[in-house]
Amino acid sequence: MNLIITFFIKLRKLFFSNVLNSIISLIIILILFSIFFNIFGWLIFNANWKVVTSNLPLYAFGSFPANQQWRPATWIISLLTLSMLTLLGPEWKWLRKNLLLAWISTVPFGLYLLYGGLGLLPITSRHWGGLTLTILLTLCSSLLSLPFGIVLALCRQSSFPLVKKLSAIYIDSMRAIPLISVLFFGQLLIPLFLPVGIEIDRVWRAVFAFTLFVSAYIAEDIRGGLQSIPSTQIEAANSLGLNKYQIIKFILIPQALRIALPALTNQSIGLFQNTSLMAILGLVELLGIGRSILANPEFIGQYIEVYIWLACLYWFVCTIMAVLARHLEKRMLINQAIV
Amino acid sequence: MKRNRKIFFQLGIFIIFITLIAILINNLTINLLRTGIGFNFNWLLKPASFSLAEHPLPYSASDSYAWALFIGWMNSLKVIVSSLVLSSLVGTLIGFARTSKNSLLGLISAGYITIIRQTPLLLQLMFWYFVGFLGLKDNISIHIKNLFKLSNQGIELPGLTLSSEFSALLFGLSIFTSAYIAEVIRGGILSVSRGQWEAFRSLGLSERKGLFFIIIPQALPAIIPGLTSQYLNLAKNSTLAIAVGYSDIYAINDTIINQTGRAIECFLILLISFLLLNLVITNFMELINRIIIKPIKHN
Repeated sequence: MNLIITFFIKLRKLFFSNVLNSIISLIIILILFSIFFNIFGWLIFNANWKVVTSNLPLYAFGSFPANQQWRPATWIISLLTLSMLTLLGPEWKWLRKNLLLAWISTVPFGLYLLYGGLGLLPITSRHWGGLTLTILLTLCSSLLSLPFGIVLALCRQSSFPLVKKLSAIYIDSMRAIPLISVLFFGQLLIPLFLPVGIEIDRVWRAVFAFTLFVSAYIAEDIRGGLQSIPSTQIEAANSLGLNKYQIIKFILIPQALRIALPALTNQSIGLFQNTSLMAILGLVELLGIGRSILANPEFIGQYIEVYIWLACLYWFVCTIMAVLARHLEKRMLINQAIV
Repeated sequence: MKRNRKIFFQLGIFIIFITLIAILINNLTINLLRTGIGFNFNWLLKPASFSLAEHPLPYSASDSYAWALFIGWMNSLKVIVSSLVLSSLVGTLIGFARTSKNSLLGLISAGYITIIRQTPLLLQLMFWYFVGFLGLKDNISIHIKNLFKLSNQGIELPGLTLSSEFSALLFGLSIFTSAYIAEVIRGGILSVSRGQWEAFRSLGLSERKGLFFIIIPQALPAIIPGLTSQYLNLAKNSTLAIAVGYSDIYAINDTIINQTGRAIECFLILLISFLLLNLVITNFMELINRIIIKPIKHN
């Protein structure tokens, strides 16, 4: 009983502290109720969720052969398990130490599962699709663009004017043009720049274009981190007798990465969302699958159901990524405090 | 000695760089010769022979590619400028709502911001186009006293007709960008110390007066840089127009490449267009910075 009274007092304090506030709150509550009733009524009674429920394997794996779908499924489940382990796992030292390695090895593991070979049935990248392809594009591109971005950032801070100028031109022009043009011209131009006879397929062209684009943004984030390291640290490292390479490896990079971490996780969440652009450029990742399902005469015109479902999926994965990132930031703070 | 080594090192890097570029260009010329396209800009003056649904200036299919590109530029500018204005208005409102004392209002704007930011823009654009505009049947269009008409043909205001493609793009871009602008505004307002709020209250200024004369002027220096980068993002995101069939600069480049196969020339044109556009936006914001911020600081 007491609890209820305090709840109401709190409610009054929060929403109805004065006349204007009460009016605003009341109007908002009214609007919200009408919207919610309409939307929920529609979602439950009018929407036809068959377009989602009968196509679940398509959304998850694209046109991967049905008897081989356990392979991408294993990969996604292992990724989820790894996320849970990172978030809630025990504090064993060996586990925590090898977690980074585990995360990096998910990429070759996933590629092996998807490509096949070595005992598994080989499957070409034409059959990859759905959420699997979206996650693969995100993971591969972020893994490749991080080292590339670090090198670019170091080049831009370098004391050689020529190196500095070249990387600045690259970073600035990459950041000036829209992503879709980089992806589109990546599909068109990468084959033109390769020697005759060497060809790479659409998925890898996309990964390459994403890497070129994202690394310019990552470079700027890391440059921000590098600039915020006080120069006294470099002087101290110099007086300890560390050489240039050691200073970069042990002093600059770890601190710059720690400072740039929030920006970097934002970049990877942005990258995950931006993989949807490949839907216009002919890959059937999550949004592309949605489009091809909508083109099926059986489900024509059911835009709202499909788009709401896709939005929920994107939102869900983004939230997982954000939670993981926050966890990582917290852990880094703790580590820093101990040191 | 050290200076010599430095120059030597740079020379080495320069040679490696030049070699790489040379290899790439060599591959490119071989490939271009093989496909028989070549590299020149003579095609710009040939007739484009495709029609455009939307053109602010007179255009017909017999006009040149160069003119078509210019029309694309105009279309891009049209959608960028109008969504820039709309998203700034909506974003500012939501940013203020996010920091308001009414926690219900704050909660709702926080929900709006997360939902918009956690879903891809392309998905949102498709939603607005296919559900928001094409989903409306012609006969259930919304009329308000002949002043405002909304149907699957777009929006009609007295003296102004907006196509459904343009309106969907305008809505999608503005709503997406407004969520980011709201966060910028919130950051700016929060960057003003609490003491300033307490000070103007204790001086007897009303909330509204305090907000406009004390808080906002101090928040602006923190807001403008964030706003600039959001406007640049908006300009870049406007190229997603191709997903809803609006013929902006990127969509027209895409059509031209499909017709003529001149990918490299079109890439250069697009690169230069966007470098120019970025220059315009940055200079414009710099101007605003000079006009608004400098006088405030001098007072």
